[in-house]
Amino acid sequence: MADNTITLLRFDKFHRFGHTLTIISFFGLVLTGMPLVFKDYAWGQWLYGVMGGYPAAGNIHRICALITFLAAFLHFAYLAFHALVKKDKGIFWGPDSLLIQPKDVLHILGDILWFFRLGKRPKFERYIYWEKFEYLSLMWGTLVMAVTGFVLWFPVQSTRLIPVSVASYVDLPSIALVAHRYEALLAAGFIFSIHFLHTHMLPENIPTDEAMFTGKIDEAHVKHERGAFYERMKEEGKLEGMRVPPSSSVAKFISGMMGVPLLTVGLLMVGFMLSSVICSLAYLFMELTKNLDLDIFSIFAF
Amino acid sequence: MVSLPITTIEVFKDSKICKLVIISCFISCLISISSFSSKNLFAQENSDCMECHADPAEVDTKVRVDHVTGEVEIVTMVVDEKEYHASAHGGEDFYCIDCHADLEDSEGEHYPNLQPVDCVTFCHDDPAATFLEGSHASLMQEKGVQLPTCKYCHTGQKSKMNTPRADNLEHRGDTIEKCGGCHEGYYRSYRNNLHGQVTAMGYTGLDIATCVDCHGQHTILNSADPESTLGPVNAKETCGKCHPGAGNSFVKHVAHPGYKDVGYYKSALIALKNIRKDPGEIKGIVKSPQTLLTVLFLAYVGLLVVTFAQFGTHMLLSWLGSILDDRKENKSDHG
Repeated sequence: MADNTITLLRFDKFHRFGHTLTIISFFGLVLTGMPLVFKDYAWGQWLYGVMGGYPAAGNIHRICALITFLAAFLHFAYLAFHALVKKDKGIFWGPDSLLIQPKDVLHILGDILWFFRLGKRPKFERYIYWEKFEYLSLMWGTLVMAVTGFVLWFPVQSTRLIPVSVASYVDLPSIALVAHRYEALLAAGFIFSIHFLHTHMLPENIPTDEAMFTGKIDEAHVKHERGAFYERMKEEGKLEGMRVPPSSSVAKFISGMMGVPLLTVGLLMVGFMLSSVICSLAYLFMELTKNLDLDIFSIFAF
Repeated sequence: MVSLPITTIEVFKDSKICKLVIISCFISCLISISSFSSKNLFAQENSDCMECHADPAEVDTKVRVDHVTGEVEIVTMVVDEKEYHASAHGGEDFYCIDCHADLEDSEGEHYPNLQPVDCVTFCHDDPAATFLEGSHASLMQEKGVQLPTCKYCHTGQKSKMNTPRADNLEHRGDTIEKCGGCHEGYYRSYRNNLHGQVTAMGYTGLDIATCVDCHGQHTILNSADPESTLGPVNAKETCGKCHPGAGNSFVKHVAHPGYKDVGYYKSALIALKNIRKDPGEIKGIVKSPQTLLTVLFLAYVGLLVVTFAQFGTHMLLSWLGSILDDRKENKSDHG
């Protein structure tokens, strides 16, 4: 990689700031919340103690939740600004949108064909279909976690909202706990395994995709990964406007310093979680087969 | 009128009376000295007991025969004074012989294996009576389960000798395990709920509910009983101790959700099997707020499995595809 590589700006400062806020709050939330799910395992108890124990860990959890709300608020303010002030319909429909487009269905089908070596990989647009799924599941997840989190934060006030006759069938805090717990498992498991491995630890990006920290990406990389987007930009003559000087080695070093520990912590977490789930399933299997009298030596009786 | 001094002098002039007074004085002195010295002679002060019971060389290994079960065990009778003073009976006005009453008047080394301490008769008759009259104890007697002694629950973490205070954190944690020892299903479902999650981490402060905080300490009644702490009358007050302003909807909370318990599904299946014989049974299970929780739980498990299976496969396949494509490119470059 010499100096003659051309770099493009992929994420501007606003998006990088939003991503950083999300990282901070998400890690805080997972590290203080996940031990409660895996309370029977030593790593969970240790981690809960490290994060301050009760009630400090809970307070960290709530502060991080507020940071998440700030990030979500900034995001929707940005959307509203672009939709209402700039009259930019492209964020809802078209190649630059993060919502699922008809073309994405074709991309998925094309990708499935490519998986089985039955065709070339489709040329992707600005956002690839799995990135759109990730974005939409983040939005859905934040909504679920926010609503259920508030119910758990204010159980007395939230149960006042429902009449007694309904409450004997719909136990709001318990429902909130179930949804909060398993949505958290889904979110943390997804981010720490799929998002990390599929976005940051791809063979060409290892260890981290620096675009989210420095905001810059090599032109050759864009051409290879998002062919349709590159060609569209070239045709519209916007490519020149996106060119920026390549990131300095200091910026690269700092982004690595930020990214690698976060990746390590996340992968460790997912390792602990996965092994604990396997242990729990093994225990469940033992519970279920406890009363079965399977004596394999009985075959010698014949 | 004869004044008092003159009368006294006149009485003392009589030598017989004088002798009687002197002799009676002497005798009463003797009695009082002998009784005074006997208090010093016999092991009646705590410090006298501690002479031996603070010394591990003397009392570290002693044989103890359990008065209830007849089990023989080797125990240490060393009394950690610091622990003892921190315990419920560690105050200034407690003496060893107050409880170990069979050691009164004994001197020096005493016989082993003392009688069990009678907590109830003179001091704790109220909690004992409420415990014995409660439906918990009567149900145990009905089923032929041996009733626990005071010491079964009120036992120190390090040594049985120390009776913990009610707000002792280790005692609060220990209580959960003691109740859970018999009520295994409820123990598991408690651990599955919010309160139980936090106490499982070892945080058993007064602001997190353990078994006794909701179900009562000695008067443990079935929640169907109107006088129960969790009955329709008292539930709001009981929850309100920690959740001020708890309303009628709040107290419908399922504190023991069974959606992760194999037994819950088993009982539902059995009820489903008996639907012709007893349709009320399955109705009772379905109508509880647990049904919604179970449906939500199963939906989330399904969602988790589907998501990770799908995205995991996708990731592996796309990794494989990229690597194969790279190889192809390299080959065409070289060729």
